[in-house]
Amino acid sequence: MLKVSGVDVYRGETQILWDIALEVSAGERVAILGSNGAGKSSLMAAITGVLPLRNGDIRFQGQSLAGLKPYQVTQLGIALVPEGRRVYKDMTVRENLEMGAFPKRGRPMLKGSMARVFELFPKLRERMHQRGGTLSGGEQQMLAIGRALMSLPELLLVDELSLGLAPRVTKEIYAALEGLGKETTVLMVEQNVELALKHSRRAYIVESGRVTRMGMSADLMDDTDIRRAYLGM
Amino acid sequence: MLALSITNGLVIGIIYALTALGVSLVVGIMNVINFAHGEFYILAGYFSYLFAHTMGLDPVVAMVLSIAAVFLIGIVVEYTLIRPTYGDDLYSLILTFILSIVMQSTFLLVFGPFPNKPPNWVKGATNVFGLFLYGNQRLAALIAGAAVIALFFAMLKLTWFGRMIRATSQDREMAELNGINTRRLNMLSFGMGCALAAAAGVILSPVFPVTPSAGVPVALTAFVCVVLGGMGSMWGCVAGGLVLGLVENLGAAFVSTGYKHVFMYLILILVLLIRPSGLFGRSET
Repeated sequence: MLKVSGVDVYRGETQILWDIALEVSAGERVAILGSNGAGKSSLMAAITGVLPLRNGDIRFQGQSLAGLKPYQVTQLGIALVPEGRRVYKDMTVRENLEMGAFPKRGRPMLKGSMARVFELFPKLRERMHQRGGTLSGGEQQMLAIGRALMSLPELLLVDELSLGLAPRVTKEIYAALEGLGKETTVLMVEQNVELALKHSRRAYIVESGRVTRMGMSADLMDDTDIRRAYLGM
Repeated sequence: MLALSITNGLVIGIIYALTALGVSLVVGIMNVINFAHGEFYILAGYFSYLFAHTMGLDPVVAMVLSIAAVFLIGIVVEYTLIRPTYGDDLYSLILTFILSIVMQSTFLLVFGPFPNKPPNWVKGATNVFGLFLYGNQRLAALIAGAAVIALFFAMLKLTWFGRMIRATSQDREMAELNGINTRRLNMLSFGMGCALAAAAGVILSPVFPVTPSAGVPVALTAFVCVVLGGMGSMWGCVAGGLVLGLVENLGAAFVSTGYKHVFMYLILILVLLIRPSGLFGRSET
């Protein structure tokens, strides 16, 4: 479904990603792991068209994303839950969700998708008329996920979901993501390695802008090097 | 005297608010400060004069046509002058400043230095609440201005275009990720900002005729309104406009007309001393 090959990305004159290659098949849960500043979020930015590719190609369902603007990538069925949630603080929960359905693919189904989001996160229904900025961190994360789902994406990118959230809340939100079912493919970036391995089938490890390891999440979980480097065990 | 000053203040205040909304819209979406904002106001006044006076169209038709024309000119200006400057706000600042001078000189060449006045829409005067006689044209301007502001807010709240504007001014990159073509939105909002100035221009020009350089104080007041109300807050613009209009007129009536413009800045300084982010602005956190 998503195929990243030989991708180099720069921020200004500084190269951030070197020769990244990874693949996600339909229905899969894939995690990208790595420490702070390894380039995980830049990879998300490259897929969504926020950062341009210097070399290489990203293909989504056979179509190249190189040179597309973020608003065009969204139309193809890729939605991002951004790092730091970035809900529209001065818009109500309802309006935030409506903005998620802005792409043409989502707009005709607006009512149905909103009902689905409320089913997934009942708290959002209670807060429907509240401004996004007044929500708690966990609720904002739910809203950011809900907003992304409103465009009926085939590929959901989730960037640092657990950042700044209480473990209990994180668990609740990951459980909800599990409930999405096979029709939504998920590629997640996560600093919390244990959590990410638990909730994914396969994982890639990114270090200083390069993919250094990949494998089945269950195998990586048992790997001594990884346990020592990331899990402190 | 008090009631009259308040009414005068409201009329002017609504027009200030209208002009300030245009500035605020363009700053919020594009981060561009349009120094030629006042000239678009004047341009609309001249258009309205041309269409209604020279071509003999109905004043209301002339107004609508003028606003539409300024909207289109705004779009052309964004496309040709502003678009190449994205990424460096200083360039657009200088460019719109030059544009302002060019437009003023053009007005002077084409229309001459004398005031031009589009025809009134209504004649006569009304006795307001039995207190004082007030020109119907000014009352009509008050109502028309308030109506345009109400329409603008309804558009922001109820339409997809309004949601696009609000989302983009809050988080431009996120809005783009939500499928908004922000480049095109820039163009439309610049046009709309100019159209708001134009609306103010056609509404007020029958009361205060237009001259080539009359746009300068208009733009200046609009900038003060935006800062007073709080950067990025549309309601702040309206509040700022009304406060300025009222303070100016009450000050002129009870202190001295000579200090009319001093009051504006006095209020600005006082408000910024107490609330540095303006009346409705949120402090940066």
